[in-house]
Amino acid sequence: MFYRLSGVHHTRYETARRIWPVPADRRMVYLVLALAVAAPLYMSDLYLTSYMLPWLIWSAAALSLTLLMGIAGQLHFGFAAVMAIGAYTSIHLTRAGVPLELALIGAGLVAAGIGCIFGAAALRVKGLYLVMATLAMQYLVDWTIINVPAISGGAQATLSTPSVTFLFVPLRGDTALYYGALLWAVIVTMLVLNIKRTSFGRALVAIRDKDFAAAVIGVNPFKYKLLAFFTSSFLGGVSGAVLAFCYYQAVTPEQFGFNVSIQLVAMVLVGGLGSVIGAYLGAGFVLLMPIVLTNVVAYMAIAGWLSVSSNLLAHIPLMVYGGLIVGFILFEPLGLAKIYDNVRKYFLVWPFRHTQS
Amino acid sequence: MTNEGSTAGGEVLVCENVSRWFAGLQALKNISIGIRSGEVFGLVGPNGSGKTTLVNAVTGFYPPQEGVIRFQDTVLNRLKPHQVATQGIARTFQNVALFKGMSVLDNILMGRHIFMRPSALASLFYWWWAQREEVVHRLKVEEIIDLLQLESVRDEPVDIIPLGLQKRVELARALCAEPRFLILDEPMAGMNQEEKEYMVRFILDAQEALGLTVLLIEHHMDVVTAICDRIVVLNNGEKIAEGPPREAINDPAVVAAYIGKKSDAA
Repeated sequence: MFYRLSGVHHTRYETARRIWPVPADRRMVYLVLALAVAAPLYMSDLYLTSYMLPWLIWSAAALSLTLLMGIAGQLHFGFAAVMAIGAYTSIHLTRAGVPLELALIGAGLVAAGIGCIFGAAALRVKGLYLVMATLAMQYLVDWTIINVPAISGGAQATLSTPSVTFLFVPLRGDTALYYGALLWAVIVTMLVLNIKRTSFGRALVAIRDKDFAAAVIGVNPFKYKLLAFFTSSFLGGVSGAVLAFCYYQAVTPEQFGFNVSIQLVAMVLVGGLGSVIGAYLGAGFVLLMPIVLTNVVAYMAIAGWLSVSSNLLAHIPLMVYGGLIVGFILFEPLGLAKIYDNVRKYFLVWPFRHTQS
Repeated sequence: MTNEGSTAGGEVLVCENVSRWFAGLQALKNISIGIRSGEVFGLVGPNGSGKTTLVNAVTGFYPPQEGVIRFQDTVLNRLKPHQVATQGIARTFQNVALFKGMSVLDNILMGRHIFMRPSALASLFYWWWAQREEVVHRLKVEEIIDLLQLESVRDEPVDIIPLGLQKRVELARALCAEPRFLILDEPMAGMNQEEKEYMVRFILDAQEALGLTVLLIEHHMDVVTAICDRIVVLNNGEKIAEGPPREAINDPAVVAAYIGKKSDAA
């Protein structure tokens, strides 16, 4: 059919190592990108700013985390704290008059620096112990932000973002904010895709899969684990800043609490560890599924198919949502990305059954 | 015992009185060996005799508490495994240690790591920065793939190919680091006769084509006697025999270590 490998012959290594070697994949990506760019034309402002925009930014954050958790194999349960550091840094920098472009880089660097400190402490421990170490980071950062007025602006304070321009475009109005988020999502996506096909990504995967075998061919495990923490925290910090500027337009400590860290981990796990499309699917699932479920349950109640008390009604979506996540972990541990991959491979060889890679 | 305390005679790897303890257990007892440039050097002995421990001492995993390990003129004692790799020493593992999340090609590309300069920035600007490097090293990798006849599995995930091929991929990964000294830890464990013969041919081919010195740990005595120039026999962390393979394995001490002494018989 239109979607297959036969007839695709690579005669140069450059084309063999393309991100999407199958033409149909490439066309689909162009189509999705075109749809995303044209979204302000056909989408209502409500959908654009309350669904698309947060989805893009959280996807970028999930991608940053999947770089660390999926590709480098280092668990991180305090990623919201990294984003918080980025958000607060960028706001304080722009309030001090630093242009946004530099403030974003500064946000990334500060988040990466602090992330690396905890990362270095975490390098000596693995698995569950690393989870504890990163949880400690979450609580320490939360505590520091809340209790240092110079950062949070006082207890219970909300710091609103100043009006800024990005690359000479005022970051004002739904469309501008949306394009800001889209640009960041595209940058992170390309970066992670490229990392996965270059020596940097291979070294990270090597550390994840067999650290002693990686060491014996010259990969310094310490250095690459730290680099993974650095790169991932940098991206997470900038994602936090983008989230503050493009979506919330203000920051409060609660926006980056422990539950947000868990949500990020859920995005990465439900989407599929280490998968780029999985980060998008996972973020979409975690953000949108509760809304969809609430609407479905409410609709069913109105239609008279569900005769339960309104108290229970409010909890049904949560129960189904939790059940769905458990179901994914049980039946498809490799996540939504694997489901997508199965479908893709089915069509790749259709009408035959046997797939090769 | 002509080699103790000297690096003369073209010896590339010299161990002098190497000892290693694990808590109360002395796994290596004053081992001294000298491996000459260009030879295939066998390391044999019963299970638990310290063969792999000696190799781990050389590659930096378990640095010896006593003694000196020298590669050419560099003392390896204080080096970490990844630093040993940059000295031109590569090894394979007894249990296949491939990166299961990667394709065969990516696994072999990993062997080029010490020659590449990986960074997130280079990846971000892939088309202007990393791509050229990737292609240059891909060419070298393809040479090794050619040498070891791995073309047909190049794009397969590494964990679905048969064990014999996995061992070959591991050899390819080690060869891609352009080592001068190659350590093979039981490259033929778990293989059938045909795969063993293939492996022997590939080892000899690689040795000839790349001018390697090889340290081979192996239990198959037919292989050891066929391709090793000299061997050392270890037992309980001690060197009990050394010399040309046929003479060394007929040494009474070696026979006793493997099948026991007459007085042990019940």
